[in-house]
Amino acid sequence: MEIFVNGAARQLPDALADPGLPLLWALRDLLGLTGTKFGCGIAACGACTVHVDGAAVRSCTLPIGKLEGRRVVTIEALGSADKPHPLQRAWAEHQVPQCGYCQSGILMAAAALLARTRRPSDAEIDAAIDNVCRCGTVPRLRAAIRAAAATVS
Amino acid sequence: MNRRALLLSGAGAAGAVVVGWALLPPRERLGGVDALPVAAGEVALNGWIKIAADGAVMLAMHRSEMGQGPHTALAMLVAEELDVALASVRLFDAPADRLYGNVATMVASVPYFHPRETEPGSETAPARAGQWVVAKIARELGINLTGGSSSVVDSWEVLRVAAATARARLLGAASIAWKQPLHELVVANAVISHPSGRSAHYGELAKMAAATPSGEVRIKRREQWKLIGTSPPRVDVVAKSNGSAVFGIDVRPPGLVFAAIRHCPMLGGRPGAVDVAPALALPGVDRVVRLGSYGGSTAAFAVVGKTWWHAERGAAALAVDWQQRPAGALDSAAILAALEQRARAAHGDDGGFAFHSRGDIAAADARASRHVEQVYRAPYLAHATMEPINCTARVAGGKVEVWAPTQVPGLARAIAAEAAGVAVDAVTLHTTYLGGGFGRRLDVDVVGQAVRVALETGGRPVQLVWSREEDLGHDFYRPAGVTILRAGLGADGLPTTLRITSAGDAITPRWMERALPTLAGPVDTPDKTASEGLFDQLYGVPHQRIAHVATQMGVPVGYWRAVGHSHNAFFSESFFDELAHAAGRDPVDYRLALLKDAPRHAAVLRLAAERAGWPGFGLSRPLGPGRARGVALHESYGSIVAQVVEASIVAGKPRVHRVVCAADVGTVVHPGIVAQQLEGAVIFALSAALYGRIDIERGVVRQTNFPTYPVVRLAESPTIETHLVDSTRPPGGVGEIGVPPLAPALANALFALTGKRLRDLPLAL
Repeated sequence: MEIFVNGAARQLPDALADPGLPLLWALRDLLGLTGTKFGCGIAACGACTVHVDGAAVRSCTLPIGKLEGRRVVTIEALGSADKPHPLQRAWAEHQVPQCGYCQSGILMAAAALLARTRRPSDAEIDAAIDNVCRCGTVPRLRAAIRAAAATVS
Repeated sequence: MNRRALLLSGAGAAGAVVVGWALLPPRERLGGVDALPVAAGEVALNGWIKIAADGAVMLAMHRSEMGQGPHTALAMLVAEELDVALASVRLFDAPADRLYGNVATMVASVPYFHPRETEPGSETAPARAGQWVVAKIARELGINLTGGSSSVVDSWEVLRVAAATARARLLGAASIAWKQPLHELVVANAVISHPSGRSAHYGELAKMAAATPSGEVRIKRREQWKLIGTSPPRVDVVAKSNGSAVFGIDVRPPGLVFAAIRHCPMLGGRPGAVDVAPALALPGVDRVVRLGSYGGSTAAFAVVGKTWWHAERGAAALAVDWQQRPAGALDSAAILAALEQRARAAHGDDGGFAFHSRGDIAAADARASRHVEQVYRAPYLAHATMEPINCTARVAGGKVEVWAPTQVPGLARAIAAEAAGVAVDAVTLHTTYLGGGFGRRLDVDVVGQAVRVALETGGRPVQLVWSREEDLGHDFYRPAGVTILRAGLGADGLPTTLRITSAGDAITPRWMERALPTLAGPVDTPDKTASEGLFDQLYGVPHQRIAHVATQMGVPVGYWRAVGHSHNAFFSESFFDELAHAAGRDPVDYRLALLKDAPRHAAVLRLAAERAGWPGFGLSRPLGPGRARGVALHESYGSIVAQVVEASIVAGKPRVHRVVCAADVGTVVHPGIVAQQLEGAVIFALSAALYGRIDIERGVVRQTNFPTYPVVRLAESPTIETHLVDSTRPPGGVGEIGVPPLAPALANALFALTGKRLRDLPLAL
């Protein structure tokens, strides 16, 4: 089986590519893309959020059998060292991460929000980011997301 | 100044500190030039600092990064003294050596001294003697532990001295090589230069520096600091924003296989008949491994597979006839009832262990004009670290390699050696980033399990990851507690007597048994963490008896962020609020009246009141309709925090809008990280105050995942402000101190709002 991740077609070993295999585990355990995290396994915490055709999706409950013809983007391709995503710059400026474990998922959810809503309101931000963060970085998210929105022209 | 004063109280921090070898011999905490392993081109200058060939400063990082910021704050201490940019300090895992043991946490936790006895600079003789003995023992044991909000507290002197010593050696080397006097040399950004034109970077001088005595070493005075007290970007922020930060669950050694786990659902239970055939029949499943108890864990089966999902499917297919523990099924409601009985019995007859007594409480009670007595309760709680419990291990050729997100690398190594049946020296341990810790990763159960599984995988590394359900169902929980508080009030409404009797399981003896068995004693000694936040509060009540009844209810209990303070502050600060209302006094005024001998506490409380717009303090700010404020003040880990919570009722449920935190944390190394920790602690504590409970029925934990163990998310998160008191005291703790005051401040706000006093956690109207 083949899935399209971060701009490239990636082969999955046939013996393990069960159509029911959640995308999260294909990314982490078969493709070595460990930036996407496991938090709950039931799409309740958002740590595993990736983009599928541009929308934020919780990859722990999305079977790879449903990915034919669809494009997956993970945190590894959100920006680059030379050209970080505006959210990644805002994350540094607002010093958002603590332990950092949930941040990939929050960043991917925020990036999908900004892609569809250029100037999100607080209510739109609250609705889009219902990720779990045990360190309690959430009070910084609204300001950081708004700062990033201001730099996206 | 003697050495003890320097190491324990940090008394030298306020002025210039001159440290010679006689005062701080290398065998104590600096380590010699041979204490660190070196790669080609590197030179070690002591047990903490290496210099790389390119001149970069390399720091042996002995504390675990779980979000609380030691990788940044400790590197700042070294960068400051060596005059290099923070970004140019490279971190490497400190080796397994007693040198990296945590002295501060043991000194803070073992003797039961009241804070009045241990005030730096004016300690009582017994307190000085007790702390000295414990510090000696702590150094001998050398247990590397990240916990107790101690990373900066413990490293504050030793790291600055280590860096200053390294700098002195480098300067000495330049002085000798160039035949120029020391005082004419200038240091900037890892380059030493002389007005004559000579200059060299640290890397060029390191080899000679290693053979040059440091001479008299001077650490910088406060007014010379360039970095300490500023907020440079955290050293981990970029890696934690692009997915490249490596947590335990992210290590990928070649040939890695994955394991999932099923513990006996009943705590402390064990497997009866088992059928592994359905699991082994599934594709991608390799084997099933039976696991006994490791580091206090309940018996389990691990299933090894090609991906974690395949392994987890296998685990779900296991057919096991699970058996209750022989001592009978655990039930949290029955335990709370039993705790209340034990507390009541002890409250009436001076029972339990009195952590603090003063005055003559019986005589004073007889003179009191009236009494207030109430019972408070707190449930079991889980940690629910975002990164699920995991460990990766490889056993091959008599060697063991372990990758673990752990707060106790030395104890992880010990249990790995035991599980593999090898000597400790055969174990190599890599500490990864921790996706949250909160005390859960002071336990090493999963390390023993992972190594046991790795014995079965033919030399291939295996990564054992618990599901969220296994995590919530098999944690080491914050102990449930019941506390009775009774005060006698004088004619002025202020308390003259205070009798507190709490009941609950003691954590430390149980943790020692499972994580540090070589030191576990034949009988339990009183555990200070059970009564912390009750016996050591500083309100001026002349007659007190503060006691704890240590129980053993059988539920696995562990250290949860702020430990005893996390619920004891709720009991104490809610009760003092009750007393203020009973006296008809404003809650802030009432507390201030009791803090006449505690000016630091009073200052923190006033600062919070002023910034929150509390009536009568500074610019009082009117509240919107349907809102009320509550206040709480609490000292923990050497720091003092006051919080004012502004709350309302939305759809019948408490809603927090604003939290103003004021804190005295002593000298602040990185104000930005302090603010992060206080904000994070508010959210962590708010989740517990509103939702946190672990219920056990017939031995099984009812909460299974985030839908049944909810936490506060963005939409419910309040605005949080933090204000720090300027201080020249040595640093206090930071990581846990924001947790304790939140629940009582919220309960007090809800009382102001509704007139209903909530005495049970979580808070339900």
